[in-house]
Amino acid sequence: MNMEKVVFGFFIVLAMTLNFGFFLGDIDNASHHHVYELYAAITVSLIATVLKFGDRTQVGAILLSTSLAADLQLITAAILWAALQGNMETAHLMVYIVSLSGGALMANFVSVVLLISETISQRR
Amino acid sequence: MNSILFMILRRLRRPLILIIVSFAVATIGLTLVPGVDDHGQTWYMSIFEAFYVISYTATTIGFGEVPYPYSQAQRLWMTFSIYLTVLPWFYAVGKIITLLQDVSLRQTIAAERFARNVASLQEPFFILCSYGQSANLLAHILDEKNMRVVVIEQKQERLNELELADTKNTILSLCADAKIPENLIRAGIYNPHCSGVVTLTDNDDVNLAVAVSVKLMQPNLRVLARAERKDIAANMASFGTDTIINPYTLFGDQLAMRVHALGTYILHQWLTGVPGDTLPPPENPPRGNWLVCGYGRFGKSVVENLEQENLTTTIIEAMPDLTECEECVVGSGTEAETLIEAGVHDACGIIAGTDNDIDNLSIVMTAKELNPNLFLIVRKNNRNNGALFRKFGADITMQPTDIIAHECLAHMLTPLLAEFLTLVRDQDNHWANNLISKLVDVVGETVPETFAVTIDADNAEAVSEYIERGLLVKLGNLMQDPSDREKELKLVPLLLVRDEVSMLVPDKETIIVKGDCILCCGTYDAKMTLPASINNNTTFNYIMTGREVPDSVVWRFVQRLISS
Repeated sequence: MNMEKVVFGFFIVLAMTLNFGFFLGDIDNASHHHVYELYAAITVSLIATVLKFGDRTQVGAILLSTSLAADLQLITAAILWAALQGNMETAHLMVYIVSLSGGALMANFVSVVLLISETISQRR
Repeated sequence: MNSILFMILRRLRRPLILIIVSFAVATIGLTLVPGVDDHGQTWYMSIFEAFYVISYTATTIGFGEVPYPYSQAQRLWMTFSIYLTVLPWFYAVGKIITLLQDVSLRQTIAAERFARNVASLQEPFFILCSYGQSANLLAHILDEKNMRVVVIEQKQERLNELELADTKNTILSLCADAKIPENLIRAGIYNPHCSGVVTLTDNDDVNLAVAVSVKLMQPNLRVLARAERKDIAANMASFGTDTIINPYTLFGDQLAMRVHALGTYILHQWLTGVPGDTLPPPENPPRGNWLVCGYGRFGKSVVENLEQENLTTTIIEAMPDLTECEECVVGSGTEAETLIEAGVHDACGIIAGTDNDIDNLSIVMTAKELNPNLFLIVRKNNRNNGALFRKFGADITMQPTDIIAHECLAHMLTPLLAEFLTLVRDQDNHWANNLISKLVDVVGETVPETFAVTIDADNAEAVSEYIERGLLVKLGNLMQDPSDREKELKLVPLLLVRDEVSMLVPDKETIIVKGDCILCCGTYDAKMTLPASINNNTTFNYIMTGREVPDSVVWRFVQRLISS
């Protein structure tokens, strides 16, 4: 067992599960989506991105790009939240934020699928 | 470029993760700590506000306590946050700066930039695989002739010299080992504009490695290599190296040429010189017994060549056993006794050809005191000693590095020039003197431009069309001035090659045939004008007939109406 692989897998899976946890619930109901969960999702996603730096393989490149896609959408959601809170109806704002996090969830999902497929193909 | 970016990212992994974690902890804590607003009520910072505060704190900008003065609890957390975030921040900044100063990283960046610059070259260029004394001179002459040069050199201090040099065009350079094929590729051997590779290091093995790798990767590329050992030269030749230069034989060869055929020598120097330079008045060495000091590889070549010219020599050598010298006066030549023993009073000249400049100067100075009528030839090894040699003012100062550079140039400018110079060697001195005076009449006393013209559809469209129509074109016609056909361009045809047969200094009445290659020597203007006149139908028609044929169909029709 390799500690580096454990940490790597942990952060990638955690990024997806946190993202999923935030996404779960009615799309326009603010009480179903907690801000700290989004915050945690962004933090973990950023860490996952940095962990993927410097892997020159093809799979490494795709893993990095999915992470960047997830970061982009989650950070956009956070910026919208910070910038528009109080300026528009909460239900509307929630729809924007949660749908963006849904997009990020897809990217994180692809990332995890890649991780699993790479692990299986290694046969060790 | 890609690999560099990822290299930086990988090394920054740890500091970046530290920053993310510390910011995350500090931000989340700040939102959880209760504060007091201006109405005395409890309030909590939003995540965005907290992130804003931590951002300006961690980067040590410090805007203060916004939007309300902090509560005691918030200040406590801020104190903790400062130590938590500022340290990783500086760690990351320090890491980035260290990375930028990293030698291996800077080398990678320099190599990538060099390769990109070479790839963007849009004109013919030569690759020099060293920047020693001969290559240095060669680079400057090529630059003076407006040819681009790319340099690979392993010693950074030599490249520093190149960076400070005053050149017409940027000379691209890379501090790397030319033996590594990767570096040769970076220098552009696959670039379609690359005209050749020159490797003149003083290490035969390096030269061999370069010549072989270039010939393996790009068999059609011209390679000029320096080789001192016979086996290395043979090895190079077996790989198809185009020109192999042996500095020792070349030196003896040139010396012999100076002694017996001064005209030929001057012609050689003149055609391979820097355009615009004038040549110093040449000295004519006397015939008689010569003293040769130093019987190393240079000395052997000198003696061999002098004996071929039926001159007698006396060898002075300090270590006769080491140099396999059978008949010689033992001594270094720097002391009077040895020179007297060798017969300095009856000799007509002395050649100081050791590989030590100070010894050489000492030899000729001692010899001159003993016999003021001696003709002095001294070998200069190091260009940096130039001042000493100028001050002494020997009759002939010969510098091997200069000779190598000029020889390379003869092969690089155009292969025809090298062939011409070889043919000239078979002619007598009288012939060479005649040619020189002819050249001086036409182009003046400065070094002329030398260039080759091929008569075919690509390079001389108008001329080849004319020949195809069955009309006779004489060599003299090509030399007519397109602005006034009564005048002649300032150029002299030196060589005409037709079906592998060479004609030295062809006559103006020679009939031109398609496929002819002509080597010309002339002024810069002539070099620029000639291609225009032999490619343009109207211009060439004027040269041939004296009439100007209009370009457009309408005007031709009008002209026919008027004349009929």
